Amino acid sequence: MYKLEDKPKDLIKVTYEKLSTDEVAESVKSPSCGAVSLFIGTTRNNFEEKKVIRLEYEAYISMAEAEIKKICSDIRNKWPMIQHISVHHRLGVVDITEVSVIIAISSPHRNESLDAVKYCITTLKATVPIWKKEVYETEEYTWKENKECQWSQNEQK
Amino acid sequence: MENFSGSAKNNEVAQCNLVCRVSLLYFARSAELSGVRSETISIPQQLTSLQLWQEIVKRHPRLGTIRDHVILAVRQEYVILGDQLLFLHPGDEIAVIPPISGG
Repeated sequence: MYKLEDKPKDLIKVTYEKLSTDEVAESVKSPSCGAVSLFIGTTRNNFEEKKVIRLEYEAYISMAEAEIKKICSDIRNKWPMIQHISVHHRLGVVDITEVSVIIAISSPHRNESLDAVKYCITTLKATVPIWKKEVYETEEYTWKENKECQWSQNEQK
Repeated sequence: MENFSGSAKNNEVAQCNLVCRVSLLYFARSAELSGVRSETISIPQQLTSLQLWQEIVKRHPRLGTIRDHVILAVRQEYVILGDQLLFLHPGDEIAVIPPISGG
């Protein structure tokens, strides 16, 4: 029988605000869980020998939230022991080493949440309508395409 | 005797001349090519996803360059460009979806 704070939660945020790893990790903690697994995506300063100075993200926000919600449901079907899931994705300018995405998942034992986090980021990259522009030192930029995306030019088969 | 010509067989679009106004949203590269982020257009209520794409390209020919790597979202469900018959309602939201890169 669930206490109110133990009812499984999907905490989804797509925001222009700076993300907080502490806030996301805290939000999935639960008395019934011995594990919180985390993925943090940060901006890297290079791509194929080009110097990247920042990433800029945009999103079809309402659909992105709906697609992340679908991923949470998938996760709960595959790993019924998962307690809470939190996915925060940042939009707008994300400078080098800043955080663009945080996924935190709690479970009684570690294997489920570790596997679920990996599944979550992989599926997010394949299905959630968010786009990023990689901006180089020269101020030229490229719209990136995830290899997980089935309609990209460099689809991973 | 009923004069009904509305039923669609697999390979035919129904004899339906109704149009409706829908919202179009453009993102990323497609917004750069079209020059707009959103607009409202009048299109047939029943058409294939490919015909819907063609309606969009008619209005923004530069979008033709991404035809092989784009899908659509109709009422927030992904639709690939092809024979799938769509039944649109007034006010429906349609989005042009270039290859995604979240995460």
